[in-house]
Amino acid sequence: MNTRFKLPPQIVRLVLLTVGIVGSYLIARAFLTPSSFGQYGWYRGDALMEAASHPRTFAGKPACTECHEEQAKQLAKFNHQSLSCEVCHGPGQAHVENFDVKLPVLTHGHCLRCHEKNPSRPHWHKQISSREHFPGDKCIECHKPHAPSEVP
Amino acid sequence: MKQSLSRRTVLTKLGLAAVAAAAAPAVNAAKTTVQKVLVKTEAPKDYDPTQHKWQMAFDVNRCIGCGHCVEACKQENNVPIGPYYRTWIERYIVTKPEPRSAETRGEVRVDSPEGGIHGFNDVPVPEADILQSFFVPKLCNLCEHSPCVQSCPVGATFDTPDGAVLVDPKYCIGCGFCIQACPYGCRFMNPITHTAEKCTLCYHRISRGLKPACVEVCPTQARIFGDLKNPVPDDPLQEFFKKNRVQTLKPHLGTDPRVQYANIDKEVR
Amino acid sequence: MDVTNVVVEAMPHFEGYVYPNEATLEPLWSVLIVLYPYITGLVAGAFIMASLVRVFRVKALEPVYRLSLLTAMSFMLCATLPLLIHLGHPERCYEIMMTPHLTSPMAIFGFVYAWYLMAVLLLELWFDYRLDFVRWSKTEKGFKGLLYRILTVGVTDESVGAVALDHKLSWIISIVGIPSAFLLHGYVGFIFGSIKANPWWGNVLMPIIFILSAIVSGIALCVIHYMIVSWVRRKPIDMRCLDIMGMFLFYALVVDATIETLDWVHRIYSKEEDFAVIQQMAREKLFFSLNIGQALCGTLLPLLMLGATQLARKRIPDIVRKRMYLASGMLIVLGVLAMRWNVVIGGQLFSKSLRGFMSYKMEFTGMEGLLMGGAVLALPFVIFVVMVKLFLPEKSPAQAAEAVTI
Repeated sequence: MNTRFKLPPQIVRLVLLTVGIVGSYLIARAFLTPSSFGQYGWYRGDALMEAASHPRTFAGKPACTECHEEQAKQLAKFNHQSLSCEVCHGPGQAHVENFDVKLPVLTHGHCLRCHEKNPSRPHWHKQISSREHFPGDKCIECHKPHAPSEVP
Repeated sequence: MKQSLSRRTVLTKLGLAAVAAAAAPAVNAAKTTVQKVLVKTEAPKDYDPTQHKWQMAFDVNRCIGCGHCVEACKQENNVPIGPYYRTWIERYIVTKPEPRSAETRGEVRVDSPEGGIHGFNDVPVPEADILQSFFVPKLCNLCEHSPCVQSCPVGATFDTPDGAVLVDPKYCIGCGFCIQACPYGCRFMNPITHTAEKCTLCYHRISRGLKPACVEVCPTQARIFGDLKNPVPDDPLQEFFKKNRVQTLKPHLGTDPRVQYANIDKEVR
Repeated sequence: MDVTNVVVEAMPHFEGYVYPNEATLEPLWSVLIVLYPYITGLVAGAFIMASLVRVFRVKALEPVYRLSLLTAMSFMLCATLPLLIHLGHPERCYEIMMTPHLTSPMAIFGFVYAWYLMAVLLLELWFDYRLDFVRWSKTEKGFKGLLYRILTVGVTDESVGAVALDHKLSWIISIVGIPSAFLLHGYVGFIFGSIKANPWWGNVLMPIIFILSAIVSGIALCVIHYMIVSWVRRKPIDMRCLDIMGMFLFYALVVDATIETLDWVHRIYSKEEDFAVIQQMAREKLFFSLNIGQALCGTLLPLLMLGATQLARKRIPDIVRKRMYLASGMLIVLGVLAMRWNVVIGGQLFSKSLRGFMSYKMEFTGMEGLLMGGAVLALPFVIFVVMVKLFLPEKSPAQAAEAVTI
C-alpha cells in the first residue's frame, strides 16, 4: 500500500488553482453574457430591436400625403413627381406629431442646390447658371415648384 | 490534516460554483422578463428580420451632387458634427490630357468637401479643362463577407438576417478594429458615445416600412432601395438590375459588397 | 445637436483626397497602440532569451536567465495596459473574454495572452523560484515574508525529488514556452497583418517580421538590463555571458534585417496599386522614423557594431566591447520602437482610398499624448525594479545551494 502513487503537492495545488480559475471564468461567463446573445448570431439579439426603436426625424412621403392630398396630386403630374416632400420642406416627423411645429420657409437658394449649373452634374438634369439666368429674380416669380413644367 | 481541510473547502466552493452556474440562465431569463415589462420599447412589434433582405444600389448617372442625402442622414441619425459620415458624396473630375501627350486622360481629382453635405458649389478646375466629371454617393457597402464583422472582438457588430450591418452601441468596447478593417472608410468612432458607428440602412425606418432617410430625400432616384424577399410591383430594384451592368467597389479584396453601382469609373474605389 | 448650421468644420491638414471619415484630427490608433506591440514584443524576446538557457542549454547565459524571465514578466503585466486605456469603453473589456468573437484576431489575443501569462511565464517562474520562495518565506518577516508565503501556494516540500520535479517541469514549460512566445507576438503581428483593407499592414510577412523584431528587441533589452543591474550593484559583468548575448543579438538582427528587406523587395517588385502611396510614405511621410530611425540607427549601425565584435572579439578591449554592446542594445531598442511607430502610425497616415495623406501631431497631454505614452512605457521598468528587489537578491538561496552541490 505504501507504493501507491501519490501526486506531487505542486501538481495538486496547480490543478486546484487551474480548476478554480477556469471555474470562475465559466461562472463569470454564465452571468455576464447578455441573455439575448446568440439569438440570431454572435451578437446581442436585443440590439436589433434597439436599433429599430431609434426615433425618426423624417416622416416619409405617405405621412405627408395623408393631410396634404391636394399638393401631392398636383406634384404627381409633373417632373417633380419623384421628389419626396421632405426634400424641399425639410424633415417633418416633428410636424406630423404636433401640427403646431411649422416647417421652415424655403428660399431661392434651395432651388439652386439642385439646379445651379455644375459641370459634374449629368447632362439630362435641368440646370441654369444663376448669374446668367435672370440674375436677382426669385425662382418662384416664374416657376412653381409643385408644377415645374408650367413655365410662363 | 490541513491539506484535506483545504481540499474540502475547495470542493465545497466548487459545488457552490456549479450551482451558481446552473442558476445563471434562470436569473438571466428572469432579468429579461423584467426588462420586457419595465422598458417601454419604440420598436415595431410585427417586424420579423428573417422575412426581409434589404438591398441598396446606385445609379451614378443620376446623382446630381445636391447633398440632401448627407444632410438627411446626419439629421435622421443624430450623427455628430465633424468628420463623421454614414453616407457621403465624392466628386470625381477627370481633366483633359495634355495636348499631344498621347494620354487618354489627364489627372483625376477627387474631393468631398464636408462629405458633400452642402453640395459642390465651387468647381476647382476651369470647365474647359474637364474631360469628365461625376458624383459618387457612398455608404456602407453591406459586404457579404464583412471584414468589420469578422474583426469585431466581442460580437458588437454583426450582419443582421435582413441584410444590414449594425453596431450594438451598448456592447461595443470602442477598440476601433472594425474601423481599421473597413476598406471603404465607412465607419467612424463616435466622439460622444465612444463607440464605432456606421450606416444602419436606417434600421428604425426600414423596419417600419419606410425608406432610409437618404433614399427618401434623393430627388433623382440615384439611390435605389428595396426588399429582395418581398418585391413590389414595378420594383425599382428589380428594374435596376434588369437595366444595368453593375460593379462593386474594391472587388479584389473579396469582401463581396452587396451595394452595387451602375455606370462608375475605374477611378472609383 | 443642430447639424444643419455647420459653418466651419475644423479639418486637419491633409493632402489629396481622404475619405471624410478619415479626416479626423488624430489617427484612431496612436501612441498607446504603438506601445502595445512594442511591449508585447519585449516580453516575447526576453522569454526567448531565457529559453536559450533552459532549452538550448547555453550555459554561458546562466547569469541572465532569471533577469530575462523577470524582464519578460514585468513587461507582460503591462502588455494589455495600453490597449485597455485606449478603449472607448474600458469598463466593457471583460466582454472580450465572455463573448469572444472567434474570427477576430483581437479576441483570440485575450486567450493567447492569458495562456502565455498564466500557463507559461508564471508557471516557469514559479517552478524556478519555488524552492527559493520556501526558503525566503522562512527567513523573511513582515510584508516580504507574507508575500513569499503566498507565492509558495502552500507547497513547502524541499525534498530532492520535489526540486528535481520543479526543474523537469520548468524545462517542459520552457519548451512549450518557445512556440507560445512566437504565438504571442506572431499574433500581435497578425492583428495588423490580417487587415487587408490597409496595404501597409495586410501582409503575410507581418507576423514573422513582428516575431523577429521582437526577439531582437527582447535580447537587446536583456543586455541593457544586465549591464545596468550589474552597474547598480557594482558587480563585475560576466564578459563571456555578454559576448554570447551579443552573438545571439547579432544573429537575430541579421535574420530580422533580411526578412524586413525581403518585405520591401517584394513590395517594390510587385508594385501593386498601393505602391505609389507606399513609396511616398517611405520617401516623405516616414522618412526620419523609417530610414533614419529604423533602418540606419536601429538596424545598420548595430549590425556594424555587433558584426565588429563578432569578427574581432579578441582585439577589442573589454571596456570598448561593453560600450559597443550597450550602444547597440540602446539603438536596437529605440529602432524597434521606431519600427512599431512606422507600422502603427504609418498605416494611418494615408487614406484607404489611396489618394491622399493624413498628418499626425502628437499631443503632450491627454489620453493619447506623449505624457501618457511615457508613463505607460515607464511602468514596466518600475515593475522590473520592484521585481529585481524582491526576486533577484545578490545571491539566491537556491543558487547558493546549487553552487555547493555542484
